[in-house]
Amino acid sequence: MSFVLQLLNGGAGNLAAYLAAHVLLCLLPAFFIAGAMAALIPKASITRWLGRTTPRHVSYPAAAAAGSLLAVCSCTIVPLFAGIYRKGAGIGPAMTFLFFAPAGNIMALAYTGSILGADFAIARFLLCLLFGIGIGLLMALLFWRDDASHDAQTDALFAGKASIGATAIGVLLSLVALLIAGTLKLWPLTATVTVVDLPLPWAEAWQATLFQWVPFDAAKGEEGVSVQGSLLIALLVLIGLTAYKGMENIVEGPNRWTWIALGLAATTLLVAALRFTPHAGGLEIAFTGRVFAIGLALWAVSRYARRLNPENWQGWLWESWRFVKQIFPLLVVGVFAVGVIRQLIQPEWIQALAGRNSLLANTVGVAFGVFMYFPTLVEVPVARMFLDLGMHRGPLLAYLMADPELSLQSILMIAAVIGRPKTFAYVGWVAIFSVTAGLLYGAWVDGVRLGWLALGMAAFIAVLAGGLAWLHRRQHNAIQPS
Amino acid sequence: MLTVKILGSGCANCKKLEAVARAAAAGAGLEAEFVKVTDMKAIMAFDLLATPGLVINEKLVSSGRIPTQAEVRQWLTVSPQTT
Repeated sequence: MSFVLQLLNGGAGNLAAYLAAHVLLCLLPAFFIAGAMAALIPKASITRWLGRTTPRHVSYPAAAAAGSLLAVCSCTIVPLFAGIYRKGAGIGPAMTFLFFAPAGNIMALAYTGSILGADFAIARFLLCLLFGIGIGLLMALLFWRDDASHDAQTDALFAGKASIGATAIGVLLSLVALLIAGTLKLWPLTATVTVVDLPLPWAEAWQATLFQWVPFDAAKGEEGVSVQGSLLIALLVLIGLTAYKGMENIVEGPNRWTWIALGLAATTLLVAALRFTPHAGGLEIAFTGRVFAIGLALWAVSRYARRLNPENWQGWLWESWRFVKQIFPLLVVGVFAVGVIRQLIQPEWIQALAGRNSLLANTVGVAFGVFMYFPTLVEVPVARMFLDLGMHRGPLLAYLMADPELSLQSILMIAAVIGRPKTFAYVGWVAIFSVTAGLLYGAWVDGVRLGWLALGMAAFIAVLAGGLAWLHRRQHNAIQPS
Repeated sequence: MLTVKILGSGCANCKKLEAVARAAAAGAGLEAEFVKVTDMKAIMAFDLLATPGLVINEKLVSSGRIPTQAEVRQWLTVSPQTT
């Protein structure tokens, strides 16, 4: 019985620590950015580069851009993937899009960066981009015959032209500034500008109570909940309640609750940027540079947002709220489950399996990613758990590359659109590329010089290119009957 | 008699769209049959890049967003004459 209690406690503690510490400054702006991308970027501004006649050096980068800018949820990913494949540029760009979308979108990157570190997010982004395009090209070469048979289809779906309005760009950029101001750990943001001491004698006792409720072991990478954290959790619950009343029917127009929810969201971001230090007889509140940066960014967002027409900003708020409804509950459950499971796994197991950057360790990382299915973004706290338990960063990246791309759900979906043989080929390539990515990044973490890495990468590409050239020659011979 | 099709795999937006469309039809006093299309192949038969899609009498009127009730009511009242 006490064991079960310990497990539940681990889950609750993990959840509370996440909500209080990590989620806010990164996820709150990220939800708004995702909503703005879905509502304010006209799809045709990117998809017009995906038509049948578009040359390769345009269509592949455009597919990657579509993956990171347009596709935040499966509502867009599946139809756009099917559309690109059947009516657009063909299987190559469709695969690039599919591979890049789960890892290259703003939510995944922001969340990865704030939980696993900026260097990890950058490695994930670059390697996914490079290998996504690589996989797309490979698939296009392997299955060139099917692409040729598509030519009867029309191009009308991708013919539309549109561009992003200046105001929408202003909104997006100021939201990105808000995200950066909230998450970057650099000097002007972390500096203390001024300190206010509030005479709140209960603050210290409350902190002690919180640590008692959520006991933590720093050696295992666990975190407690601070006084500030408890305030933020309360604010989050309030946002949830008011947003439910204010955002559910936002498409028909805003109501009083809408403004309250938005005001609370802004307040939460500002509070999260403060630094609370409880001491005997009072609570010291430090105003960091971050508070002012966030205030400035919020002002810019509201300035641009006010110039949007009602249809656009209402659509924006609806999409943001929809992402919150869709992703946040899963994330809460996932983080809780991670906290429970963490109590069961011995660090020695992880260190023995994947503590070093070996081929076996990377393969294990990928295999785990393929056979486990975690809902959107939950792979990130799972990765954090493995990192804390002693997994090497190389195999960790291999796992993070394979997991979102290859869940059972996504494999079934791909198979429905492109058929089984192509799906198996895709799965195989993702596995190979993920292992390679893990090995490369792991070697970099271990301090191998960039020159050697470039050499290793060049060798890998040379082997692939050689194989493909051979295939291509064979295909060429096949079309010219002698 | 109108046939209204909601295209989408069952995500939050599709449910919202169905609610909006039903409310619009009821508001305009029109009788309509609502069909949910969740099969990807059937959805791709229409030219759309993102769900949810709204189809009135086999004609795609909106996709990738949730229209307001007023918009849907207008499409509903216009379509009988055009088809």
